[in-house]
Amino acid sequence: AVPTLQGQSGASDSQPVSAMAPQKHGSGGNGFYANSTSKVANGGAHVSSGVVMTSVKRPKMEQVQADHELFLQAFEKPTQIYRFLRTRNLIAPIFLHRSLTYMSHRNSRTNSKRKYFGVNDLLFKVEKSKVDQDSHNMASNLQLTFTGFFHKTEKPLQNSENEENSVSVEMLLVKVCHKKRKDVSCPVKQVPTGKKQVPLNPDSSQTKLGAFPTLIVPSHEFEPSNSHMVKSYSLLFRVSRPGGRELNGMTTRDNVMEELSNRKKRYCSNQDDGETTFVAQMTVFDKNRRLQLLDGEYEVSMQEMEESPVGKKRATWETILDGKWLPPFETFSQGPTLQFTLRWTNDTADRGTAPVAKPLATRNSESSTVDSSKPSNVKPPQAVGKITSTEQTHVEPRQKLRVYYQFLYNNNTQQQTEARDDLHCPWCTLNCRKLYSLLKHLKLSHSRFIFNYVPHPKGARIDVSINECYDGSYVGNPQDIHCQPGFAFSRNGPVKRTPVTHFLVCRPKRSKPSLSEFLEPEDGEQEQQRTYISGHNRLYFHSDSCMPLRPQEMDVDSEDERDPAWLREKTVMQIDEFTDVNEGEKEVMKLWNLHVMKHGYIADTQMNQACMLFVEQHGTTIIEKNLCRNVLLHLVSMHDFGLVNTGNIDKAMAQLRDLKQQKDGQEQSKTQDNADGGSSGDGEASVSNFVKTKNH
Amino acid sequence: MQFIGPLCKRVKSEYMRLRQLKRFRKAEEIKALFQSNRRKIEGRTELLNEEWSKLRIQSIPLSTTSGSLPSKKLCMVESGFPSFPYQAVAMRPLTTVAGIPFMYSWSPLQQNFMVEDETFLHNIPYMGDEVLEQDEAFLEELIDNYDGVHGDRGEAGQTCLFIQFVLGQYPFCFKSQIQDNADFSLAFPSLGRELSANKKIPHDKIFTAIASMFPYKGTMEELKDKYKDLLEPSSPVKLPPLCTPNMDGPLAKSVQREQSLHSFHTLFCRRCFKYDCFLHPFHASPNVYKRKNKEIRMETEPCGLDCFLLQVQLSEYITISYVFLLKFADQNMQSSQRPRRRRRQPRPSSSCGPTPSGFCEEGKEGGSDHETTSSSEGNSQCPSPAKLRPGEEGAEESESPPQWSGAEESLFRVLHGTYYNNFCSIARLIGTKTCREVYEFAVKEVLIHHVPLEDGGISPQKKKRKHSLCSERIVLISLSICLTDNSSNQVYNYQPCDHPEHPCDSSCSCVMTQNFCEKFCQCDQECQNRFPGCRCKTQCNTKQCPCYLAVRECDPDLCMTCGAADHWDSKQVSCKNCSIQRGLKKHLLLAPSDVAGWGTFIKEPVQKNELISEYCGELISQDEADRRGRIYDKYMSSFLFNLNNDFVVDATRKGNKIRFANHSVNPNCYAKVVMVNGDHRIGIFAKRAIQRGEELFFDYRYSQADALKYVGIEREIDIV
Repeated sequence: AVPTLQGQSGASDSQPVSAMAPQKHGSGGNGFYANSTSKVANGGAHVSSGVVMTSVKRPKMEQVQADHELFLQAFEKPTQIYRFLRTRNLIAPIFLHRSLTYMSHRNSRTNSKRKYFGVNDLLFKVEKSKVDQDSHNMASNLQLTFTGFFHKTEKPLQNSENEENSVSVEMLLVKVCHKKRKDVSCPVKQVPTGKKQVPLNPDSSQTKLGAFPTLIVPSHEFEPSNSHMVKSYSLLFRVSRPGGRELNGMTTRDNVMEELSNRKKRYCSNQDDGETTFVAQMTVFDKNRRLQLLDGEYEVSMQEMEESPVGKKRATWETILDGKWLPPFETFSQGPTLQFTLRWTNDTADRGTAPVAKPLATRNSESSTVDSSKPSNVKPPQAVGKITSTEQTHVEPRQKLRVYYQFLYNNNTQQQTEARDDLHCPWCTLNCRKLYSLLKHLKLSHSRFIFNYVPHPKGARIDVSINECYDGSYVGNPQDIHCQPGFAFSRNGPVKRTPVTHFLVCRPKRSKPSLSEFLEPEDGEQEQQRTYISGHNRLYFHSDSCMPLRPQEMDVDSEDERDPAWLREKTVMQIDEFTDVNEGEKEVMKLWNLHVMKHGYIADTQMNQACMLFVEQHGTTIIEKNLCRNVLLHLVSMHDFGLVNTGNIDKAMAQLRDLKQQKDGQEQSKTQDNADGGSSGDGEASVSNFVKTKNH
Repeated sequence: MQFIGPLCKRVKSEYMRLRQLKRFRKAEEIKALFQSNRRKIEGRTELLNEEWSKLRIQSIPLSTTSGSLPSKKLCMVESGFPSFPYQAVAMRPLTTVAGIPFMYSWSPLQQNFMVEDETFLHNIPYMGDEVLEQDEAFLEELIDNYDGVHGDRGEAGQTCLFIQFVLGQYPFCFKSQIQDNADFSLAFPSLGRELSANKKIPHDKIFTAIASMFPYKGTMEELKDKYKDLLEPSSPVKLPPLCTPNMDGPLAKSVQREQSLHSFHTLFCRRCFKYDCFLHPFHASPNVYKRKNKEIRMETEPCGLDCFLLQVQLSEYITISYVFLLKFADQNMQSSQRPRRRRRQPRPSSSCGPTPSGFCEEGKEGGSDHETTSSSEGNSQCPSPAKLRPGEEGAEESESPPQWSGAEESLFRVLHGTYYNNFCSIARLIGTKTCREVYEFAVKEVLIHHVPLEDGGISPQKKKRKHSLCSERIVLISLSICLTDNSSNQVYNYQPCDHPEHPCDSSCSCVMTQNFCEKFCQCDQECQNRFPGCRCKTQCNTKQCPCYLAVRECDPDLCMTCGAADHWDSKQVSCKNCSIQRGLKKHLLLAPSDVAGWGTFIKEPVQKNELISEYCGELISQDEADRRGRIYDKYMSSFLFNLNNDFVVDATRKGNKIRFANHSVNPNCYAKVVMVNGDHRIGIFAKRAIQRGEELFFDYRYSQADALKYVGIEREIDIV
């Protein structure tokens, strides 16, 4: 067997493990999630086969069937949901697992430099890189450390023999020189740099770091030669595989690389009859002598040699596998690829600090669309980390850790046990690489289930049961849900939003990771879970109309007026109801009441001021309605109550008089008419009042 | 009887016609109301639309499907024609939006609002069909609690119809009599007289006919009596209401000071500074007697060349002023004892009920006394002083007798009561007379009207009646307080005491109810029972402050040092013990509660012991609260809040947003009944520091004694 880090294949080889997740009968194989239209959907490897395998051993089929139905009933739906979410997260991730605290070992970056970070560093960095680019040309040697050659063949690889586990890689430096006058085409020089045996489909976990073959292109090769001006440099890889059979006619025209996808050209040529030769070419310096290959981990898609090399002009971007169109990254799951670490170094002996390559997101997603039964031969991205020395402290001691999942269902009366040899999440196939991380991930990301950790002599047991309390309620900012139509997406200028306070704890107190936190909880522990979102995390409503409060209305308390409209109307009506109060008195009383209600006077000492303000604000109305004497009566009455003094009466009346004179001066004749009309109107009003009372 | 036959038919058709007319008129009325309502709504909508159009809003742009989730389903529309392309759009599931809790409508209010007891059940509460069927016993009991149910057809509606009906028979009757001239020649002259007089009772025949048509309505005689009765009350209404004419109007009459100021005096609430306020149905009249002496100042400087001071010898002036002073002191003493009520016409039950003994006697006295004066004054266009005036003045001032209009005379008397012999000021205020004329008029008044002025203090009949049952109830309550034992935890409503001539002793209502005398009391400033206020220079939020200790808010008229009387316009007051009166509440928000139904949420964080809001609502009597509470308990939702022994705050119909705060045994707010300038008010305060956006809770069982009262609420919480 070829053991790979991706435990799934290993597990399926070594023992008849069933699917970790429930699945309906017969739906197996391709596509765990029927509704998914995603082409890249994957993880089928886990679901895929043998859902019913546990039951195969059971003697009573019917009972088993019934039991299984119950099992499915309990676990099928959440599993499907999590599968869907996993796929969605692969395509459009909302967050990266590596940025989570408990997944910190997936994160290759360190923050140690941040302490000393200054803004100027940015500038230095840029300047330095510019200098480096130039200096690279001459100063450094190009060092390539080959990690392995990956190629998925049709036959299971475990049958192959030992000597076939390596291929020979030859690397040539191709120099394209400037045309001289006499030349028809550009003169090309090929400088062989060496030939090494590179492991075929290696399992990096079992290979030691130092064991990888290394090839070095010495720096003087890049120096300008005497005779020809070199236009560009490129590396040509030639991999010959002994005992080659006719492989499928896979023709890859794809220049896919992790970072430098467009800097590599490939063409094919057939070399030997006995062995298959794959070739690939990468540019080191382009025509403008710009460095194209930076330090990093590379995986080069190789091309099987053919009779006629494909010219540059004919190169297209499709990837074809068996005549089928393949998504670009599919090449990397199928192979053949050559993986190596590239470094520019002055010291040929230094090879331990090869930069860590970032895993390709698609690396996890092998073969769901192709054939799920095909074992993966692509190293999982996490494995890359293993190579590097910096990461090694985080990795748990490699031992056969077996995780038993015990599914409890039917009111926790029945159980079904599954075992896995790796630390992948059974639902989203995420390699957590540590038991703690796995448990934490399960607990936080799959809250439809309850996970309880039970220590086990052989590893760990995780009790999985359905979380009955899960209600799917939204715990984020409710404003996002209630975003009010027309406002939340307004792009027509600034729009006010409801202020929400999020607590961001800078350095939260974190207890040391310990597996004990996953043990079955005691009572009362749940209380500690508090929402860290505070403030107006809800939608408010107007109290009068029950309409949602729009964010721009937050600051105005519509219901806090001291004199709501209905109360103003009420006081007017109430005074109008009196039959033995004359019109003039009524008018003054109404005016005064509205005035008091508006200003909300509370103290006797305010009354002098209130009277002055009354005259000031309602002076014109008082004069128009011809109420001066009634106002005087009102003031005298206030005086009788001991609320105003005579001086204020004098002042207020003087102000009224002035105002009246002003008005009289302005429109003398008119005022005269109005006064007559007004007085007669008064008379009419009182008469009508009499009539009204009569009707009562 | 041949006559009765067609008459009966006629009666019947007439009856139908009137009924139809009434129905038609009613329908028209409703139509008009509906139309006006529509217009109002349209106006409002227009306003809203205008506001919306002003807001810069863009419709939600649909995010493009490319690049987004490929797992989205597409909705395809295929047309049968080959030339038309398929149309597809990504399906877009909408998030479910939770419905909002149920809410009965209510009116916003920031101060308590006193309402009268409802002796009529306004509507039979609807609680769903099941409850209605199950709880017939409850409904019956409920109806028993009330005097009746609103909408039961009383006589009031029928009377109008009846009179109309009877009158409607006239013309027909007349015609028929002309037709049957010979047979009923005897009837004719009487009828003719009737018609010409137009006031007499219609002919018996009409009643006979009606009686035969509607036998259950009574015999002919009964109907006739009834008709007479019904016509009777309409006649007193025809008389002009006993109302002082408008001072600014052309019909202004010369009346006494008391009459001029009567409306203002009786309707003004000295506690709310409003006329006919919503909170205190019982307003005391001003106590002019104890007015500060410094206000009575004499003008010694002439106001101008024509000033009366230059003309009149000073000694004379002083004697006159002395006479005036005596007289007015006398008069005011009388008036101060007499709180009077105004009558409000539409109140149906204005007449009955026992009046407090003191007022009753006074009223009767005044009424009988004034019967003569009012009729003489009211009926003759020229009141007696006016009659006397021209002759007198003509004799004194030959050259230009100044005409004193009724309004001017009244105004003089009013001002004279305030300004005494400061004739210059009076003249300025009257505006149309010089101070000399005023002085001369004053001299005359004193000489001539000395005697009538004395009984002028007695109020006319109209002022005596209590206008509502409400005030009676208060008096009854305050009386009942004396009877019940005063256990220490009982808190009674404050009512300003008014017992002239003897100090606040054990018979004073304030002392009996264990309340302090307030500035509204009629007792002496130096009264022992008065609360002195605080002299704090700090925030008044500890028990060091006597106000705080007495669970009172600082009175801005008593506590002059703590800042309760400063900075009226700003919300920053150094005194922390005057939040309720100043309305320094917090901005509250309404949202579905995390616990049950609606909840109240706070917008800004508050500190411990800060006022959050006043719990406002209708102020109802304990009896009314019992009646209402029975219904609320059935609804499982109650907004009742015990204020004191006499009153309960009910926020069901009117209230503010704090009414939605839920009950909790571990609350973040607490309620406290505080005496605020003579009124008990419920403040909801922060029990601890509260973050913004927190839901507010307080313990409904604000005192152990009240725990039982709110069982209904507890029950509600339990269920949820």
